[in-house]
Formats: sequence, structure tokens, C-alpha cells
Amino acid sequence: MALEGEAAGLAAIGAGLAVGLTGIGAGMGEKDVGAAAVGAMTEDRSIFGTAMIFMVIPETIVIFGLVIAIIALFAL
Amino acid sequence: MSLPESMSRVVVVGTKSHMEEAIEAFYSVRALHVIDHTAGTDGMSIGSPLPTNTKASERLLKVRAMEKELGIGKNTETSKVSADELREQISYGSVEGVEAEVLKVLDVRNDLNRRITELNAKKKSLELLTAIPVDLELYSGYKSLAVIVGTVEKDPSEALKALADAEIFVSFKKKKKKSGGGVAAVFVKNEDRDKASSILSDHGFVEFAVPEGKGPASGALVLADAGLADLNDKLESVEKEVEALQIKHKTFLRATDEELSIEIEKGEVPLRLAVGEYSYIMDAWVPTKKVQVVTTELESRLGNDVHIEVEETRGRNMHEEEEAEERFKKAPTKNNNGIIAKEFEHATSLVAIPKYQEIDPSILIMFFLPLFFGFMIGDCGYAIPFIIIGAYGLKVTRHKDWRAIATVLFFGGIWSFLFGFFFFGEAFGMHFIGHWEPPLGMTWEALLGVSMPDWFSGIMVNGHGVSKLEDDVVMLLKLAVYIGIIHIMIGYICGFLNVRRQHNNKHAFIEKGGWIILFIGMVVLCYALTQVLFSKVPLEGMLLYLLIAGAAMLVVGVAINFKAEGAKAILEVPNVIGMILSYTRLAAIGMSKAGMAMAFNYIVFGMFMGMTDAVVWPEWYLLIPLLLFLAFLHFVVWTLGILSAGLHALRLQFVELMTKFFVGGGTKYEPLIIKRFKTIKQETNKEV
Repeated sequence: MALEGEAAGLAAIGAGLAVGLTGIGAGMGEKDVGAAAVGAMTEDRSIFGTAMIFMVIPETIVIFGLVIAIIALFAL
Repeated sequence: MSLPESMSRVVVVGTKSHMEEAIEAFYSVRALHVIDHTAGTDGMSIGSPLPTNTKASERLLKVRAMEKELGIGKNTETSKVSADELREQISYGSVEGVEAEVLKVLDVRNDLNRRITELNAKKKSLELLTAIPVDLELYSGYKSLAVIVGTVEKDPSEALKALADAEIFVSFKKKKKKSGGGVAAVFVKNEDRDKASSILSDHGFVEFAVPEGKGPASGALVLADAGLADLNDKLESVEKEVEALQIKHKTFLRATDEELSIEIEKGEVPLRLAVGEYSYIMDAWVPTKKVQVVTTELESRLGNDVHIEVEETRGRNMHEEEEAEERFKKAPTKNNNGIIAKEFEHATSLVAIPKYQEIDPSILIMFFLPLFFGFMIGDCGYAIPFIIIGAYGLKVTRHKDWRAIATVLFFGGIWSFLFGFFFFGEAFGMHFIGHWEPPLGMTWEALLGVSMPDWFSGIMVNGHGVSKLEDDVVMLLKLAVYIGIIHIMIGYICGFLNVRRQHNNKHAFIEKGGWIILFIGMVVLCYALTQVLFSKVPLEGMLLYLLIAGAAMLVVGVAINFKAEGAKAILEVPNVIGMILSYTRLAAIGMSKAGMAMAFNYIVFGMFMGMTDAVVWPEWYLLIPLLLFLAFLHFVVWTLGILSAGLHALRLQFVELMTKFFVGGGTKYEPLIIKRFKTIKQETNKEV
């Protein structure tokens, strides 16, 4: 890590917030989608693929958070 | 690229009197996907099942009933039987014979069961009545007296005192039992009956019938117990008989079940054909390369009784489908893959069956799914169990879900080993080469106290492998993004090829070309921007041209998409960056796994064994439990690896790759085929 002292600490807090908050966001999104997807799949198993695609859409936000965290920790 | 197999539509016409032999022949060529006839055309109507079907259905019903009663199921181990002999047995009435034999025993068993149930109920009543000092014969036979007997939840003795001239027996235990508080028997005058009932009902009264008998209830109870024991003995011996019958007839019943099911399936084929007074017509799809063989085979088997004509060979252009008659519109999809790609067809079918006119993504999944899985695991220690389990799974399992998983584990394991060894240079979260500097710098070399030869480090990237947790993080993220760009680009190109094949070049350019230009533009633009913003490269010369070219392509791409799809296309633009960044999970999951493995190694080696500065092995009695503990921790990482790496690798195929070109919604190719598991047909069916 190139940053030192207080700056390094702030970057670490920032990284934590980036992953944590996006994680909460993704979780809230997936909660609804997942419940609906499981419900729909009990009706018709053949929609697994479509259900999975919907299921993972909110998850992308967490990946963005992770990228920001990694940049904050390693690339700054 | 692998398209589904080319299909031809044939019409088979034959004489109705020989339909039964014809159906046998249709099954024997194993290639006819029948197109159901819709009623009311050209004076032909839907046929009716073969006359033998009624008897076969009746027998199948009996066989299934017997199987259920005897506890014979799908998984019961039985040997194979010759189909011809079996048919002969069936036609001589052996199903009925077995049924008579089985029913005789089953009737006895059912009768015993019924009597045991009755006796148990009687026993229960008697047990309750033992608390009341009245002989059984005294409960009945009165003209002016009503007798009310039953269980109560609360003690009714006080309340019942209100009744005049009544004889009351109440046995009540304060301690509440599961079934309630106690039992009450009330002898009242007929006219007081309602009053007594209403008092009792306030105390949770449930009436029961007093069993017939003489003398005190306890005596009758002893008799009932003896009877019950006797009946149970009899039941046990009958159960043994049933078991013997199960063993004796299971092979016959399973085989007959299969044989009769086949007979019924064949007998129902006329329901899918057009049948007139003297002839039948069958429309069917046949893989183009088999048409000649099918024709020859059918003609040789049926002679002059059949006429076969090829109506069309379906091309991939959509207008052919659109112009066809309703029931001939959709040609069925028969995947056209090699033996490895075949195992990945199941993954494709989780999303949808490919259309006849589009590229089957199985082959792309075959390549990228294990690759991504291996990249995310990226550890040759974890790879070995994957390879072993995958190979074992492929050898033993036949279920398509498990086979798909085993295939991914096997090939993913191989990739994981290659990446883990040559690229990352690590096993179980520790690099092979380097010094001992926990927590991050724990290596096999230092741990085992050996010095790896130079050639060994020479075959690894960077001389010691890429470090997932330290210096190479940014490089890994970039690599993941580059892999993503290639992956998405392949998706777009497949999409372009699909539309070109289904329509024409112009159509393909408008529908998919816009996206390709936009995507390339976005990639170039983002590259130039990151160079300027993060790497602080001055914006001049080549970089400036790249920036302008990228922006221009982006605008052109958006314009084409806008024309094709309207305003929605503009909203989709930021999504392109999202898709590319989505591939950073390849690096991120690899890092998370390496991080966990590192932490666990540090817990055991650094914290418990105290090897924080140098490698010092503890005594063996301490070492062994600690190593076992470490093995358990690594097992956790390994299991999580299957879940996260497997699911994310799959997701990248389903979401990022397949949405670019895959539409799906094809009809599965289902030719007339008989699969025998419990029976053997002497005359081997010739596969054409």
C-alpha cells in the first residue's frame, strides 16, 4: 500500500464501507428476487436459468464495491 | 460453430392393415420425431390406439398395484429377462396367475390388519373401563335406563350430583394425562339422559362404545391381549410370505411393467398419425444425414406397404419457418456435439433448449465454464481432489445433473491445477517458493526446509507465481477484465452470426453490429480514460486518437442501436461497463479463497505452532491434531470453492455470455425409441 498513516486508515475504512454497504444493498435486492424466484421455480422447474439470471442481477453491485475496495487498498 | 443437426421432414404413407408392423419398424430405426396430426384434414382423422392396448393397460394396472403392495420400486434390484419369453408368459396369462397368488396372501394380510386395528380399539376401551367396578354385561340391556360411558377432561362428579336417581361412576386422576383426565359411566333414567349429556359435555366428555363381553373389564382385557398377540404372530408369518412373494416375483413384475409400458406406448402411436379407411399418413422429422438410411430400412422391412417421401430439408433462415404450415413450423433441435460438449448440454438446457436456427452454446460453456472455475480456484492443492472426484463421478454416475457437476469438477480441476501450478505457483494457499514471513509470506519451501531447484521456479510465472494477496492484485483484476472482454466479444460475434444466418447481413448489422461497435468503442474509451485518470499518462498522441476513436465508435454504436431498438438502447449503455466489471469476480473470488486459506494456515502454523519468525516444528503429539485441524479448515475452503467458483463461473456463462446471442425456445428432438432396462430384446435394434 502506497498510502501511509492516517490516509491508509481512511482508505481501509473506505474499502470496508464500499464492500459492506454494497453487500447490504445486494442482499436487500436479492432477498426479494430470490424469494420470488424460488416461488416461481416450485411452479415450473424449467425456468431455473431465467430465475438465476434475475437472481444474480443485484449482485453486480457488490462486485463494484469490491473493485472500489481493492483499488482503495492496493491501487491508490 | 455448432448448430443443431439439420432436419428433414418426411411423409410416410402405408396401409392401415399393416400398421402394427409399421410401428415396430418406426421404433426400430430410432430416428423418427413424429409430428402430431391435427384432426380434420383431407378426410383423415386421428387414429385410435391398437386393439391390444386395452388388455395391456388392464394388465399394467394389475402389475403396478402388485408392485405397490409388495414394495417393489424403481430401485429394486432385479435381473434382466428376455422380452420374447416374457411376452409369451404374459399372453398365457401369467400376470393373472401371479395376481391370484399375490392377492390370496394380501387378502389374509389385510384381514389380519383390520382385526388387529379393531382389537386395539377394543383394548383401549377396556383399559379405560378397568377403572370402573362394573361388569361388562351390566352396561347394556335396560329398557328405562340410559347408559353413558366416555372419557372426560375435567372431574364431573360434583356436577352430576344434580341428577336424581342416577348411578354414577367416575374415575378421575388429578394428574392430567395426555388422553385426558379420566373416565365416567353414568346410569340415568331415560328422561334424564339429555341433562346428563349436557353436564358431561361441559367437562370435555367424549363417548365411546362399551365392548361386548362378560365379567369385569380387566378379565376381558387379558383375553384381548392374548388375542392380539395371536393375531400379531399370524401377521408376522404372513409378512414373511409377502416377503417371499416379493423375492419370487420382483423380476417378473418389474420386467412385465416395462414390457407392458412399451407395448402401450407403441399402441398409442396411431393417436399421433392421420388414419383413413385404408391407409395411414405419418409426418416426421428425421436428421438429414439419416434420411437415406431410414428410408432404405423402412422399405426393406415393410416392402410395398410403405411409401416414404422427403418433403423438405429445413434451412436455418427464419423465413422458411415463417412460411411453413403451423404444425411444421418448428423443426426439433438435436444437439450436435462431441462427447465432451455433450455433458454441457444439460447446462444449456437449464436456460432453454436452443432454437433450430441458432448456435448451441454448449461448446462455449464446455470451454469457458471449467476455465473460469479453474481460474477462480487457482490452487493445485485443491485441484487434485476435484480431478479425482470428477473422474470418479464421470465413471459411476448416469444421472445428468450429477454428470454435469462431475464434468465441471474434472475439467475445472485440471484447469485449476494448471493455473495453480504454473500461474499462481501455490498449493493449499501457500506458494511453493519464497521465504517464511507470516502471515502473507508462508511457503512450502520454507515450511519443509527444502530448496526448490532453479528449473522449478523457472516454469512459474514471475519465478514464484502470481501473488493473489499482495503485489499482483491489480494485475489480476486487469487480467479478469481482459478475459471478460474476450468472453463478451465472443458472445456478440455469435449473436451476429445467428442473426446473419436467420435473416441477412443487413439485419445482423443493425441488430448486433451496433452492439459490437458500441462495445469496442466503450472498451477503447475506457482504456484511454483509465490510462489518463489512474496511470496519469498525458493525453496526447496515440492515447488521444484512441480516446477520440473510442468515443466516435460509441456514438455510432448508440446511433445504430437507437435506430434498431429505440430509446431503450441508450439506457443499456452503462450496462456494458457493468458487464465488463462483472468479470472482476474471477479475480475477487480467487482472492477471497486465497485469503481464507492464508488465514487458516496462519492460525495453525503461526498462532498455534508459533512459527511466526522461523519454522520450528512442535512435538508429534501436538503436531498431528493440529494438522488434522488444518485439514478440516482447508476442507471448508474447498467446499466453499465448489459453491462460489462453480456458481459464479456458471453465472458468467448464463448472464454475460448467453444473453448476447442465445434466445432458446426450441423443441427437443424426441424420436421414437424404446429404452429397455429390465428386459432384453433378442433381435438387436439396429441404430441407423
